[in-house]
Amino acid sequence: MAKTAEQIAVQEQVIETQEQTFEAFQTNAHFWGRLTIGCVIVLSAALPLYLSFVKGYHPGWQAIFAAFVAYIALVGFAWVIEPVSYYATLGVSGTYLSFLTGNIANMCLPSAAAAQHVIGADPGTRKGEVAATLAIAAASFMNIAVLIPVILAGSYILSVIPESVQAAFTYIIPAIFGGMMTQLAMKKPLFGVIGIVFGILMTQLPIPVFFKGLVCMFLTVIICVLLENYQTSKTTTEGEMIHE
Amino acid sequence: MPISEIMNSGILWVFCLLVVSIVLFQGVVFVRSAYQARSSVGMTEQEARSAMKTGAIAAIGPALGNIIIAVSLMTLIGNPLTMMRSAIIGSSATESLGAQMASSAYGTELGTADFGPEAFTTIAWTLCIGGTGWLLVTFFFTKSLGSFQKKITARKNGTKKMVVISTAAMLGAFGYFAANEAVKSSSHTLVILTSIGITIITLLAANKLQKNWLKEWALGFAIVGGLTVGYFIG
Repeated sequence: MAKTAEQIAVQEQVIETQEQTFEAFQTNAHFWGRLTIGCVIVLSAALPLYLSFVKGYHPGWQAIFAAFVAYIALVGFAWVIEPVSYYATLGVSGTYLSFLTGNIANMCLPSAAAAQHVIGADPGTRKGEVAATLAIAAASFMNIAVLIPVILAGSYILSVIPESVQAAFTYIIPAIFGGMMTQLAMKKPLFGVIGIVFGILMTQLPIPVFFKGLVCMFLTVIICVLLENYQTSKTTTEGEMIHE
Repeated sequence: MPISEIMNSGILWVFCLLVVSIVLFQGVVFVRSAYQARSSVGMTEQEARSAMKTGAIAAIGPALGNIIIAVSLMTLIGNPLTMMRSAIIGSSATESLGAQMASSAYGTELGTADFGPEAFTTIAWTLCIGGTGWLLVTFFFTKSLGSFQKKITARKNGTKKMVVISTAAMLGAFGYFAANEAVKSSSHTLVILTSIGITIITLLAANKLQKNWLKEWALGFAIVGGLTVGYFIG
């Protein structure tokens, strides 16, 4: 059935409004994301300044500097590597949300990926980005909802949980990563195998620890993109052959 | 004034409260704006609700996991600073390591008798300013990352390429994370295998029975199953 010119025009207009709405969503995200993160940066600086100079507990710059250098050695690389490498999954709004909330690898990413999986949205698409935004915001609320009673009654809660159960809590991280990996790999099992093979390889190679994740990610992306290109070119040539 | 009173003083609670409210405020603003944009990306209201529910369920396990570390940190650096650092960037694990390093840089140990207000201030400097590293990068560079993505997706087959890159990047990252946990001990390996098995079964069952809510709980089941195995073998 051929579409009339009018129908096409209407359709184009719909697509255009959709573009505009999504554009507005991202512009909005930049504005509020920067504003909220900016406020927290200021507060983060104000707290130690208050302790040092209003209350007069200044420990001396030398101690602060020494502690800071040690801390940078621990997390300095993550400052740059994490926002850049997780961006593809989180999108603009997801990045602002995740990096304010923290617990990115163990909470935000699994939540975002699970939500994308449930509603069948691919990471890196617009629908995927909106899904990630909703999921991470919900995860952030849940995190705070769990934390508040703990902060108020923490030591009591800890005294009721038996030691043996507390010991089992160390296994939360491997359980999350195993589940995550599977959920992501269900769609692309081959990608999953490549990721895990490089992952195992990384644990055996003598590279600095903070680079291992990045190198693994980089290699997996390269191999998967090449593989995908190879498959597309194969199917197109097959298609041409059938045509002939 | 004893150190525990300094660590739990009213002003510190005010700082903590302000930070937590900013995090909550940001969440509300983003959910509202995502709901407004929802129909333009072809998402139904039911899907939007399902996305939030899944996110919340998936976060229960990790949030509970933070409790143990947060509670031990609380006794050492006080409640407000722990809350502030756990609610915003940083995970409890990194923060406790940072607190240890800061107190030893000042020449004392956490929880000892000579741990005074100056040592506590050193920790506050390290954790607060240390955490802003991520925030500054996010503040300045998210916009450039956004334009970079736009360039890729504008190309022919761009969105498809972005999907491949995103999926592969995630699998690469979690492939390493999972492998790194697996090599820690045979118990860790067993826990990972259990959670992989449970996830596969849950997701296959969800597809077979056409029950989408099962998918929402997949990660939750995997964590509970993994912990149960960990409890009996650990």
